Amino acid sequence: MKEIVIISGKGGTGKTSLTASFAMLGGKDVIVADCDVDAADMHLLLEPDFQDSEDFYSGELAYIKQDQCIKCGKCADVCRFDAIPIINTRYIVDPLSCEGCGYCARVCPTNAIINKSLNVGKWYISNIKTGSTMVHAKLGIGADNSGKLVAKVKSEAKNIAEEEQKDFVIVDGSPGVGCPVVSSLSGASFVVLVTEPSVSGLHDLKRVYELVNKFNIKAGCIINKSDINQKVTVEIENFLEKENIVHLASLPYNEDFTKAMTIGQTIVEYSNGSLKQLITDSWNNILNIVNIKK
Amino acid sequence: MKIAFTTKGKTWDSPMDPRFGRTEYFLIYDEEKEELTHYDNRDSANEAHGAGPKTAQKLFEFNPDILITGNGPGGNAAAVLEKTGIKILVGAGDMTVKEAYNAYKKGEL
Repeated sequence: MKEIVIISGKGGTGKTSLTASFAMLGGKDVIVADCDVDAADMHLLLEPDFQDSEDFYSGELAYIKQDQCIKCGKCADVCRFDAIPIINTRYIVDPLSCEGCGYCARVCPTNAIINKSLNVGKWYISNIKTGSTMVHAKLGIGADNSGKLVAKVKSEAKNIAEEEQKDFVIVDGSPGVGCPVVSSLSGASFVVLVTEPSVSGLHDLKRVYELVNKFNIKAGCIINKSDINQKVTVEIENFLEKENIVHLASLPYNEDFTKAMTIGQTIVEYSNGSLKQLITDSWNNILNIVNIKK
Repeated sequence: MKIAFTTKGKTWDSPMDPRFGRTEYFLIYDEEKEELTHYDNRDSANEAHGAGPKTAQKLFEFNPDILITGNGPGGNAAAVLEKTGIKILVGAGDMTVKEAYNAYKKGEL
């Protein structure tokens, strides 16, 4: 079983549109893991049925047992996040401000404060329209994605792939270069970098590749909207050559990306033209590189 | 030589864990004493953030000469490990611990 991770560094490059297209092309052989949990949107394209769900806990939140509180206010004094306001003469923890550091519990003279595990959202196992399975998650308001949640989504997807003897897990990776991305990359067989020829597209590509390189993972790159800025496209191509990154494809700017998305379809369902062919070629290229015959 | 492995179990036949920071276990093999010990790392694996550096610190306490893992620690963990001087060998993600040890002995990692 091979794990293919698709990341972009910069947002808006077409990463999720391409990931969903690859999932469509791979069909039953591919388990999908949506690890872009901060702005999860793959469910819009792949029609999951949310068959199984489970609560996800991450981090902690202070909780004041009102019957033991003597209203001394020491907790509110030490809280660096101003997370313990007085509401109707009671000290109440504001869940959006509390960081769960536990300082309040430490100074409370009557031990009235405890830390509780924080329910930050749910994760799901769904049947999707490709005939396969997707593992994905939904975060509550104000909750942030974490390496832990990404690790959970990925390990569930891998377990399913192993049980059902599927060839691939494809992972829609998180944006940026932080903890969730590190967790997205860890354990991957191959990384697909999706970029666009803009100054920030190239900058973020370099930044995220630095991380990929630390992990010693083989990488390929798709330059989307490659015809909107020839100069930067050439710079990107030079960078790929220098770093020995496989140039998988250059996709011209095409409004079918948006049109397909607005009716909830992947590009390979919507378009029958050259764009579909280019994406299909890219996918076959990736399959060749990770050494599995289709 | 003391060799550390990132693994999903406690024995020579356990599969390797390709991840470093959120690996389930370490196995430490002391070649002189011919002794295999394990460390349960699932607490670090459950950290929301910063699992890599935490695991690196734990590993340092065992003072191994070599670390064998899947595809190498990420940014922060790599920075910690660099300071410790532990030699990192990668590419053993799909093997069992025994296979990884043999591959190391043959110089294949």
